[in-house]
Amino acid sequence: MKLSAILPVARVLRRELAVTALLLLGVSVVVFTVLQLAPGDPLNVLLEGQSPRSQQAVREALGVSHTWYGRYGAWLAKVVQGDFGSSIRTGLPVLPELARVGVNTLYLTLGSLLLTLLIAVPIAVHAAVNGDTPGNTVATVAAYIVSAVPVFWFGYIVVYVFIHYFEMFPLLSGAAAKQEHAWLYFLVPIFVLGTASGTLSELIRHLRDELSRVLAEDYIRTARAKGAPVWRHAFKEGFLIPVTELMSAKIPFLLGGAVIVEQVFNWPGMGRMAWQAAQDRDFPVIMGIALVAAAFVRSGNLLQRVVFTMVNPRASKG
Amino acid sequence: MSGPLLSIENLRTYFYSRAKRAFIRSVDGASLDVARGETLGVVGESGSGKTVTALSAAGLVTAAPGVIGGRITLQSNGTARELLDGLERYVRVEEEDGRVVAVEKDERGWRRHAEALMAGVRGKEIAMIFQNPRAALNPYSTVGNQLVETIRLHTGVKGEREAKERAIAWLERVRIDSPRLRFDNFPFGMSGGMCQRAMIAMALSAEPSLLVADEPTTGLDATIQSRIVELLGDLKEETGTATLLISHDISVIQRLSDRVAVMYGGTVVESGRATEVLARDAPARHPYTEALLEAIPSAEAIRNKSYLRAIEGDVLDTIEVPRGCRFYGRCNKVTDAIRERCAGLEPPLAEVSSGHKVRCWLYPTKT
Amino acid sequence: MRRFVQTQGPIGEFSALPLLQRAETRDLLYVGYGLLIVALVIASYLMGAFGWLPHDPRQMDVGLINAPALTAGHLLGTDFLGRDLQSRLILGIQAYFLPGLLAIAISVAGGCVLGVLAGYRGGWLAAVVTYIDNLLDSFPRLVLILLVIAAFKADIYAIMIVVGITGMPETANLVSGKIAFLKQKNFIEAAHALGLPAHTVILKHILWLNCRTLLVIQATLGMAEAIIVETSLSYLGFGVQEPTPSWGNMVQAGANYFLQGNFWPSTAPALAILATILGFQLLGDGLNNMLEGKRRRG
Repeated sequence: MKLSAILPVARVLRRELAVTALLLLGVSVVVFTVLQLAPGDPLNVLLEGQSPRSQQAVREALGVSHTWYGRYGAWLAKVVQGDFGSSIRTGLPVLPELARVGVNTLYLTLGSLLLTLLIAVPIAVHAAVNGDTPGNTVATVAAYIVSAVPVFWFGYIVVYVFIHYFEMFPLLSGAAAKQEHAWLYFLVPIFVLGTASGTLSELIRHLRDELSRVLAEDYIRTARAKGAPVWRHAFKEGFLIPVTELMSAKIPFLLGGAVIVEQVFNWPGMGRMAWQAAQDRDFPVIMGIALVAAAFVRSGNLLQRVVFTMVNPRASKG
Repeated sequence: MSGPLLSIENLRTYFYSRAKRAFIRSVDGASLDVARGETLGVVGESGSGKTVTALSAAGLVTAAPGVIGGRITLQSNGTARELLDGLERYVRVEEEDGRVVAVEKDERGWRRHAEALMAGVRGKEIAMIFQNPRAALNPYSTVGNQLVETIRLHTGVKGEREAKERAIAWLERVRIDSPRLRFDNFPFGMSGGMCQRAMIAMALSAEPSLLVADEPTTGLDATIQSRIVELLGDLKEETGTATLLISHDISVIQRLSDRVAVMYGGTVVESGRATEVLARDAPARHPYTEALLEAIPSAEAIRNKSYLRAIEGDVLDTIEVPRGCRFYGRCNKVTDAIRERCAGLEPPLAEVSSGHKVRCWLYPTKT
Repeated sequence: MRRFVQTQGPIGEFSALPLLQRAETRDLLYVGYGLLIVALVIASYLMGAFGWLPHDPRQMDVGLINAPALTAGHLLGTDFLGRDLQSRLILGIQAYFLPGLLAIAISVAGGCVLGVLAGYRGGWLAAVVTYIDNLLDSFPRLVLILLVIAAFKADIYAIMIVVGITGMPETANLVSGKIAFLKQKNFIEAAHALGLPAHTVILKHILWLNCRTLLVIQATLGMAEAIIVETSLSYLGFGVQEPTPSWGNMVQAGANYFLQGNFWPSTAPALAILATILGFQLLGDGLNNMLEGKRRRG
């Protein structure tokens, strides 16, 4: 890649980073606002369970101001430094805990994204190239049904099959009982989320529509006319860009699905932690999760913008 | 090696409108010849089927049902290639009363077979340029790279540096300024005229036997149009490539063509030498051609500020093709003697003088 | 093998067949199934609201626990406390019907407002709307809902307000896209030239005449989303609580028996969820293909 091609990309990237930062700021405002709107003194909730003396100390130490933007500023300052507070339930600091379990959720989310793509892409490409064949109709209808299946019930089916047919047990504790098949356990939740997350039919439809549209473009006709391999010309606009766009767009969706799947499999991840936090009204934890999740979504989006800018010559001209 | 370079016989290319549940008979029995080194201009209104004929010859019709009948022969390098050979196996046409009412097509089989037939022909023997040149070039790739791709595919030049030099030479040949800089331009950064020059370079760099030019000047500014026509004329002399030139612009056809074919309603209604067909007063010509020529305002007409002579009626709806002559509804030369025949029976394309054919009941056939 | 048949005689040059005749069978089937589901949902909602149920959903019959379908007058069997499954399933619709309507009302109305603001005026307003859209899209919906639950307790209407708000960007994008299309075709300019006041142009011409099909489609898809959210939440234990039935908590309660080999108590509500969500989604997609479909070449 020539240097002259990298510079304009870097310029666009600077702008994208700024936008991302602005959005994350907005995210933090939303999260903080929900906290503020909760009944009761939010600070009380944060300090719940601690002795009155330490509460007083914390208040003084925080220099809690009486204006909401003052409190927001104080809170934001701590967040930016990595201090997300401590869990009300366990007392453990939030961010390190999130980092610990977040990896599992990352693994689950990215893995299922990949699996969904692996299923969706061949069907979409086949449908775009070959039009409406009976095989395609069957696949599309099957995808619709699979996407409408409640993922938690599907999880139970899979667990049942694994217990009774593969005798892999106990799956529910998230720990491997049989060491030699341990790696397989980790694939099961990915399989469940990857197939039944509800994104499958939409992915197929969108990829197929985009690829069809590109294949009908004038420049593809020119490529055919000059005997060049069509896929090489259709790849960027018909595949790479839609796939990356969809990937980044579906990350929030899959994170939500992860909350449910982690419940079914008792998977130690951010999703299960979020569920627990909602039950306990454990504010620091749930706020931290919301922030981390949003940050994850926005990084995915940023990456997609990078790919788009690198591929699209018009993008870097500003 | 005798016979024309490209011979299209009785081509039928149909499309299907799902909204109307009816066939669109874009090309309904068209026959054309292009001889080696000559330029055949195909002229007609939009909807006459001229573009679809060109696309069918290049094997670029992808919509269904597509090409359903006819014969296309390409004679080059000593071999004669049947470009529609064996495709009848995949298409079954049901007719009623001389009219197609149903078509069954095995699309995948047809496509596979057609691709096999056209491999090595498309781009190499038959090269094509299109209207709307900026849209016809890949926006994600530089102009130079697209040229290099053609060169490496179809000429003996495989090395990247060599191909690049060849590409730059071609850019220069089509009179693009600063070719070395333009090599790295993307299509969106170039004007329409420049894009068209680049596309011409891309097509000719493969050294094809036949260049199919579909409305190469449409959509460009008037002055640029003139330059492109000039360029095409010069290149024709330099390279000796035969050209199938499609345009609705008669002046372009006039300037570049050796022979002319006039299409209407999906068939050829007149063909012959350009000088004969497009002459101001000719002894025998199709009423449609005459109307087309009359529609061009002459210098005198402009001076006198007289009304434009439009052709009455609307372009033929290719879904409801009439029984008799296709031009009957708009023809102002029908006499009572032939009226019945015009209304009921389609006239054949018959010779009225050497090399000049007309499809009209006004002219008795010369056997 | 594909077959093309000319079935029509002269129908005029620019007209096409009426909608029902030219629609593809596949889309007609989708819409048919979808409408069937909608009818069933509305009927069941009314039945549940007025108490016209085959059995008392709370009556427990300890002697008839986990009975399979078609036993002793219970069409779909009983659950783990001997309660009639069919009645509970019908009653379960109460959990999402009205809240779902709230969600789609907010997302469609809010989406229209945002879309019109972005598309009609453009400029900095469009940038602001884009920012809001991206902001709302940054959250996984369930995480945001859990945050709201932590703050306000699990009130289904509050949650549906969140669902509605997070659904606005999609509608907004479609509406502003339509407006861009209309601008490109100069319809809006023409309307202004005719002297029509802005509110007429927006309400009548843009929204009603040009957007109403896509808004209906968004509403059906939004209902599917709402059902997914409600059932997931009640599965997680945040929705309606026992003994009130919700399809989600029914699946969850039946799960224990699932792993013991008794599938039905968990599967019956799951099938109900599947069939209903499928109905709304197919309805939306079928309508989309019929009314807003773009023609694909070949």
